Amino acid sequence: MNFDLTSDQKMLQDQVRKFAQTELAPLAPEIDKSGEFPWPSLKKMAKLGLLGVIVPEKYGGSGFDFVSLAIAIEEISRACASTGVIVAVNNSLTTYPILEFSSEELKKKYLPQLCSGEKIGAFGLTEPNAGSDVAAMESTARLEGDHYIVNGTKRFITNGGEAGIYVVFAYTNRDLKHKGISAFVVERDTPGFSVGKHEDLMGIRATANCELMFEDVKVPKENLLGKEGDGFKICMNTLDVSRIDIGAQAVGIAQAALDEAVRYSKERKAFGQPICNFEMIEALIAEMATEIQAARLLVHYAGFCKDKGMQKFSKEAAMSKYYASDIAVDVTRKAVQIHGGYGYSKEYAVERLYRDAKILELYEGTSEIQKIVIARELTR
Amino acid sequence: MDLIVCLKRVPQTAEAEVQIGPSGKEIVRDRLTFDMNEADSYALEEAILLKEKFGGTITVISLGLPDAEDTLRIALAKGADHAIRIKAEDFGELDGFKTASLLKDALVNVKFDVLLTGCVATDDSLYQVGPVLAELLGAPHATLVGKIEIAGEKAHVNRELEGGLIEHLEMSLPAVFAVQTGINEPRYASLIAIRRAAGKEIKLLGKDDIPSEHRVNSTLEKLFVPPAGKRAEIMTGTADEVSARTASLIKEKGLI
Amino acid sequence: MADILALVEHRQGAVRDVTFELLTCGRKMAGTLNAKLTGVVLGHKTDDLVARVRNHAHRLIVMDSEVFENFNAETYQHALVKIIEREHPYLSLFANTAFGIDLCPALATQMGYPFTTDCIGVEIVDGQVRATRQLYDGKLDAQVRLTAADSYMLTMRSGACPAEGSDLTAEVERIETLVASQPEYRKFIEYIEAAVGDVDITKADVIVGVGRGIKEQANMPMIEELAKALGGVVACSRPVVDANWLTKDRQVGSSGKTVKPKLYIAIGISGAFQHIAGMKSSDTIIAINKDPNAPIFNEADYGIVDDLFKVVPVLKNKILELKK
Repeated sequence: MNFDLTSDQKMLQDQVRKFAQTELAPLAPEIDKSGEFPWPSLKKMAKLGLLGVIVPEKYGGSGFDFVSLAIAIEEISRACASTGVIVAVNNSLTTYPILEFSSEELKKKYLPQLCSGEKIGAFGLTEPNAGSDVAAMESTARLEGDHYIVNGTKRFITNGGEAGIYVVFAYTNRDLKHKGISAFVVERDTPGFSVGKHEDLMGIRATANCELMFEDVKVPKENLLGKEGDGFKICMNTLDVSRIDIGAQAVGIAQAALDEAVRYSKERKAFGQPICNFEMIEALIAEMATEIQAARLLVHYAGFCKDKGMQKFSKEAAMSKYYASDIAVDVTRKAVQIHGGYGYSKEYAVERLYRDAKILELYEGTSEIQKIVIARELTR
Repeated sequence: MDLIVCLKRVPQTAEAEVQIGPSGKEIVRDRLTFDMNEADSYALEEAILLKEKFGGTITVISLGLPDAEDTLRIALAKGADHAIRIKAEDFGELDGFKTASLLKDALVNVKFDVLLTGCVATDDSLYQVGPVLAELLGAPHATLVGKIEIAGEKAHVNRELEGGLIEHLEMSLPAVFAVQTGINEPRYASLIAIRRAAGKEIKLLGKDDIPSEHRVNSTLEKLFVPPAGKRAEIMTGTADEVSARTASLIKEKGLI
Repeated sequence: MADILALVEHRQGAVRDVTFELLTCGRKMAGTLNAKLTGVVLGHKTDDLVARVRNHAHRLIVMDSEVFENFNAETYQHALVKIIEREHPYLSLFANTAFGIDLCPALATQMGYPFTTDCIGVEIVDGQVRATRQLYDGKLDAQVRLTAADSYMLTMRSGACPAEGSDLTAEVERIETLVASQPEYRKFIEYIEAAVGDVDITKADVIVGVGRGIKEQANMPMIEELAKALGGVVACSRPVVDANWLTKDRQVGSSGKTVKPKLYIAIGISGAFQHIAGMKSSDTIIAINKDPNAPIFNEADYGIVDDLFKVVPVLKNKILELKK
């Protein structure tokens, strides 16, 4: 048993924290307001190797493990939640399934572009009528010669409006239900593909969250991930991995809220003394800090399970995602409470953090779905 | 080009409260964060820039406690090739002179064209190590360096004087430069470089390796909180109240 | 008892103000030790320099040569070794300036004398030199004792010992130059004047100075708006220039400009001595800083201990109201 980070993880944390606090944090309020996708930041992060954290060096990545990826995502999210999820999606929802499920040719073709920031990745799963119920998706892909012809609409796609490479799910055989779903890599400039409406979201507002439209999009046969019908399995496995990073994002957002709350409580005076002297504020801070630490340990443990090569870590990933998003919403709410009326004003970061946190309970599997995953591991 | 950079790990006190520990001679360390001394991080970056331009190797050296190895490892990740820690725990009380003499003994067989260090450390504010080390090594030095341009055996160096004036020098190598903050833009280490640095050896030098006696020039007798001088009249109240008072004060002075 | 020696610092033909502080300190030390203060003038065409400082020391040693026209730590060190070997002073004083710190540590090392730098106070206790210095960004003072020896060296921080008038008439001894030329390995080439920016902060009546506390460039407009409301200009401390948020010509402090406006508002500036050196002569200083222990409050006339992000916008509005 050892809770210490390794030497390279410590250095990664140190450098990513400095980078994020210096380069990303100052932009966070700005891009929250404008909704502008942070391309300049992504280019800088590409240079540092943050867009391909788990990708081996031979494909242009950094060759780190999943705990390290979680540490990086926490630090990025602590500075800017939008940038955190953009990077998480590129790493765990795009490079990961390509690395895990594609041919050597596809890896060589797409991973370097995703690691270098030349193109950013997105994950086309959710549809207007298919969220938690993945099998309700309506998109289809039919094989015609050397191509699959993809049709359908995807919705709420993080990075959707700015991505160049999409991992997309569609039915190749509807009769087989979820076993008839397949996964493809689709390039943005393929004819018939278009980006639809840009969502005006409550939080994580700079993530180019868009609708994607596929009208007879011809995808080369070799862009199929795994075999036909592997889509659901690929999707579930990929989500297991990405949930660790959403957990990490949650820890980062919560930590940022705690940082703000502690600082404010020491500066703000009421009844002649700093409010951090009041027991009710102390209780809030103690609760927040404990929740964050517990969530961080769950996240690191889930990453550790994946790194150890455990085949099944769905429960651990779901626990980390469910708990961390739950406490992130709670911690940011408490941080607003500590700020009083000021916390409700856009002048203070906690207002943004509170909005940013809410999505954590909704995307990449709602909290309800996570509980189902956890419970079914125990009851079946 | 062979480069040496002397680094120090220091508490980050610019925006932190500094408390005196029970001995009266040291500060309370546990609530402070420690990191590479600010000016040293510019010295390191300058060495990396010189290496990128002229090739060669960078040796980084730090006289510090075991956690100084974290700082040295970051330097390795950013572009240094070799790292040495002189075990501060072996050498008792230190001052600028003793630090420089220990560095000199550790470096006596390391060839260099340019030796860089920060012009001052934020913890002891001594401005000593660069010029003393240069004197001990028999190399010319310049402190408060804000620009270095090297052509052949010559270096053109700008020193920052008071009032924004710059002193332009021509120096020959090998030389010691104690650099000012702001001379460049220190980089972040890339993840790949971090992974490669993680396994690199850090050479340790202790009492047995540097056996000669080293004297201090000065001994710390006590630390104390600076006596309040002419203390400002502190205005109290809400932001609104203090702002209103300040504004009328400025008006009274005829400045509005 | 041997005497006190102090180096007369000059630049571009003029004795620097800090020299008079140093000579004042030297006279005081000499007084307590019942010793004499000897000023050392290394320069070229030294008549003016000598005339300027003659009333401030008991004795002057002058070396006059083209070699010393401009400061060069190497030629100065060479000459001072000869002088100190001849004079055997008990204590040699230098200003803790860009010249002093380039010179004193190496010189003391060559001579094997105990020394320390950047002192804000000095006293002799039981025949040993005890100095006061500042540590940790000026947040603590330290009392240090120099190791016992026959001779000591110190650099004194500007402002530590305010200059006082003196009516001594130094006996002037001109001695042989002893240093033929600048060494090949370190040659003074030229002085380069700081680039002139769009605003000359030294001419402004009202300066809003901003420091590290501003946190990021995106917050600068808030400071500019306050300065505009006051009809003043924005200046800053060193970290702001290092981060490239403002240009060097806006920097106030020992390596930047010295300003004496009617009003200086220090915002998010902790008050490192280098900054203080550049603005302490302002008529009125108001400091806004959230750290009640920030050294800036020892210099300011008025202080606001609060979050600058909260105070500055309100202050701007109050000023605009009063202007109506």
